[in-house]
Amino acid sequence: MTRALRIIASNPMSLAGLLLVLLIVAAAIFAPWVAPFPTHNTAVIDFAYANQGPSARNWMGTDLVGRDIFSRILYAYRISLGLGIVVLIIAAPVGTVVGLLAGYLGGWTESVLMRLVDVFLSIPPLVLAIAVLGVLEPTLTNAMIAVTVMWWPWYARLVYSIARSEREEGYVLAAEVIGAPTAHIAFREVLPNCLPAIITKMTLDMGFVIIIASSLSFLGLGVQPPTPDLGSMVAEGARYLPDSWWMTVFPGLAILLAVFGFNLLGDGLREVLGVDE
Amino acid sequence: MSALLDIRDLRLGFKGLRGITEVLHGIDLAIAAGERVALVGESGSGKSVTARIILGLLQEARAARVSGAVEFDGRDISTMPARQRAKLRGTEMSMIFQDPTSSLNPTFTIGRQFAEVMRRRQPEMSREACDRRASEMLAEVSIPDPARVLSAYPFQLSGGMNQRVMIAMALVNHPKLLLADEPGTALDVSVQALTLRLMHDLVERHGTAVLFISHNLGVVREFADRVYVIYRGRIVEEGPTRALFDNPGHAYTRALMSAVPRITGAGLPEVPEVSDDFLAPMVRHTGGAA
Amino acid sequence: MSLLSVESLSKTFQTPSGPVHALRDVSLSVERGECLAVVGESGSGKTTLANMILGILAATSGTIRFDGRELPVRRGPEHRRAIQLVQQNPLSSLNPKRSIGASVRLGLDTYGIGARSERWARVEAALEEVGLPGEMRRRGPSGLSGGQRQRVGIARALACDPELLVLDEPTSALDVLVQARVLRLLNELRAEKRLTYVFITHDLAVVRNVADRVAVFKSGELVETGETARIFTAPEHPYTRSLIGAVPVVDEDELQLRNTLAGEQ
Repeated sequence: MTRALRIIASNPMSLAGLLLVLLIVAAAIFAPWVAPFPTHNTAVIDFAYANQGPSARNWMGTDLVGRDIFSRILYAYRISLGLGIVVLIIAAPVGTVVGLLAGYLGGWTESVLMRLVDVFLSIPPLVLAIAVLGVLEPTLTNAMIAVTVMWWPWYARLVYSIARSEREEGYVLAAEVIGAPTAHIAFREVLPNCLPAIITKMTLDMGFVIIIASSLSFLGLGVQPPTPDLGSMVAEGARYLPDSWWMTVFPGLAILLAVFGFNLLGDGLREVLGVDE
Repeated sequence: MSALLDIRDLRLGFKGLRGITEVLHGIDLAIAAGERVALVGESGSGKSVTARIILGLLQEARAARVSGAVEFDGRDISTMPARQRAKLRGTEMSMIFQDPTSSLNPTFTIGRQFAEVMRRRQPEMSREACDRRASEMLAEVSIPDPARVLSAYPFQLSGGMNQRVMIAMALVNHPKLLLADEPGTALDVSVQALTLRLMHDLVERHGTAVLFISHNLGVVREFADRVYVIYRGRIVEEGPTRALFDNPGHAYTRALMSAVPRITGAGLPEVPEVSDDFLAPMVRHTGGAA
Repeated sequence: MSLLSVESLSKTFQTPSGPVHALRDVSLSVERGECLAVVGESGSGKTTLANMILGILAATSGTIRFDGRELPVRRGPEHRRAIQLVQQNPLSSLNPKRSIGASVRLGLDTYGIGARSERWARVEAALEEVGLPGEMRRRGPSGLSGGQRQRVGIARALACDPELLVLDEPTSALDVLVQARVLRLLNELRAEKRLTYVFITHDLAVVRNVADRVAVFKSGELVETGETARIFTAPEHPYTRSLIGAVPVVDEDELQLRNTLAGEQ
C-alpha cells in the first residue's frame, strides 16, 4: 500500500488524478453539508436571483429559476458517481466471467461467447443506449441498465485477451497436470492475474461512464428534472449561450474534471499494478 | 601496450525507490586488437550490463549511474556525446544477441537489413553493391545460396540460419570489436557448436576482437583466448583460457568448474551455491596475452 | 513388469501445410525406480512424448501402459496423481498471484490427501523435503531465486505423492551452481522415495550423471536406446555420436572422450 502511494506520488500527473478524484468523491458525499444552498437539488424557485452570473453569493452563478449552480454540481456528482459505480459493479463482473470462460476454456465456448461480445461491440455504444431507452422509460434506473448493457462486452474482451495468454503459462499447465477442477483454475489461478488490468480499467471507465451518462441526459434520455445532472445542466444552459455562459461552462468543466481525474488516476494505477497496455 | 578496449574501475549503480543499488563494483578489463576474450558468469553477475555499457547503451538510461573509464580505440566512451556513441555502434563495434530470430526485424528482408547496416558506414552505397557485399559475407558463414537468403524474411529461415546471418551482418562493416552476448544459447547444441566454430574462424580471418559473454564454461573454453570470471559485479579471476581451466585459482571459479556435469560421468559433487570464499580477492594468471 | 511402457506410439499433427509426424512408432519402457533420459533437439518429439505420458495430448495410435494397465487420455484421479510434472521454466511455472504454499497445496486439495487441518503441515514438510524452509509457504514466488522456484515446483509435484515424475528440462534454465544442487536433490529424492523419472533434456553431460538409461530421439523417431554407460562408451547411432560431439567440454579427459566417441565412424 505504501509502495503504491509512493509510486503514485512520484508522478505529478497521477498524484493530481488521485487528488481530483478524492476531491470529487468528498464533494459528492458531503454535498448536503458543503453546498451553500443544500435545498437547490429540488424544484426550488427563487426568481429574485434568477439567471445571475458568478458572484460572491453564487460562485458559479444561478440558473433560470434562481438555483445555485455550484450546489447543483455537487449534487450532480452524487448522481454521476453513483451511476458509474452501479454500472461498473454489474458490468465488470459479468464481462469478467464471460471473458474468463471464453479465454480459458477456448473451443466452442470461446466461439459462442466472443461472437456474442462482437455483436454488442459492433453497435455504437451511444446508439445502443438510446435504443434501450427508446424501448424503456427514460429514467435513472433505465439509464443505468442501458449503460450497463453496452459496457460489459469491453470487460469480456479485456479479460478474454489476458486469460488467453495466461492459459499458456506454466502455472496453468501445472494445475491441469495435477488435475485441479476447471473452476479452480479459471477463478483461483487465472482470475487473480487479470485483476490488476480490470481494476485499472474500472478506474479509467468511471470517467467514461460519467460522460456517457451525461450525454444521455444531455439528450433528455437520462436523469429527469428536477434532479440535478451534469449532462442535463449543460443541455439546459446551452440554449442561453453565450449570454448566460455560466450555466453551461461550469457543469461542463465539472464533467471535464471528473473524467480527467479518473483518467490520470487510472494511468497511475496502471503503473502501480504493472499492467501492460 | 595499448588495448583496443580498456575498462578501468567501472562502476554501475541503479537508482531505485530505495536509493542506489550497485551492480558493478569496479571492473578492470582489457581486450587487445584481434583478441578473443570471454566474460563468464552466472545470471545477475553483471556480465550483460557490462556489454551494454561498452555499447554505450546504459549511459543514456535515466536510472543508471556509470563511473570509471571505458576507452575504446583511445577514446573514452563514457564522456563522448550520445550522438558519437551511436555512430560507433554497428560500425566500429557490433553485437550478436542470444536469440537470432527475434533480434532481426521480421518485416524486412535480410537483404534490406544488410543494406541498412552497411549504409551506416557508407551512406551512399547502392543497393546492388550492398547485395554483392552481403552475398560475400553470407558465403563466408557457409550459407550455400546467398541470393535466396537475401530475399527472404527472417521467419522463413531456421534459427541456425538466422544466427549465421546475424554473424555475417555483425562483421560486414569490419568492426574492430564484436560483442557476443550468449550467442546461440537459444539454439540446439549441435547448431550452436557449428555456428560458434564458424564465428571463431571468421573473426580470426578478419582480425576482429571479440568480447564473448557466456555462462557456459564449455563454450567459453572452446572459443576464447583469455577469460575473465565475474561474480556479483566483481572480476574474481583472469587468465589465458588454458591456464585458467587447467588450474582455477579462485574459490568461485573452482566451484563453477566442479559443478559442471562431465560426460565422463564424474558424478555431481556437493558444491555450495554461495560461500564467503567467493568474495576472496581476484586471482590473476601471469603469462597471459594481455 | 515395467512401471511405464509405451507401445508403437505415434502422433501426427494436421497442419495447413500437411500432416506433421511428431512421433513415429515409438516403443520403450521404464522400470520402477529407474531414471530414463529422453534426449533430443528441438523437433525431436521428446515434448510430444512427455505430453502424452501426462495425458495432455492424445496419441494418434499406440498405447501407453502404467503399472500394467492401459492409460487413457481422460484418466481417473488415481492415474493423474501418480504421474506428475516438473517444468523447465521456473519463472512461469508458479502463479505470481498465489503464495507458493497455495501452489504446493493444490494437489493435496485436489486428491483429498490428508485431513484438511493437517494439509498446511504437509505443505511445509514438502517444502522442507526439497531444502526450503517450511515457513516460506506464505511467500509469493516473486522474491525467490530460480533455484528456489524450481525446488517449489518439485515440492508441488511430490506433494501429490506420485510414482513417476516427468522432468521437462528441469535445470536448463538454472545457473551451473544451482543446477548441480537441484540435480543432486533429484537424485536423492529418487533413491529415498523410489521414484521413477522420465528426464527430458538436450544436455548430454547432465544425462551422463543422472540417468540409468538413455533414449535418443531424432525427428520423432527413437534412434538409439541403451544403458547410460554404454551410450557414453560405445554409441552406435551416428546421430548419437554427433550429439556427443557437440557437447561443450571443460577438461582434457572430457575432450579426449568426446573426440574418440565423435570421431569413431
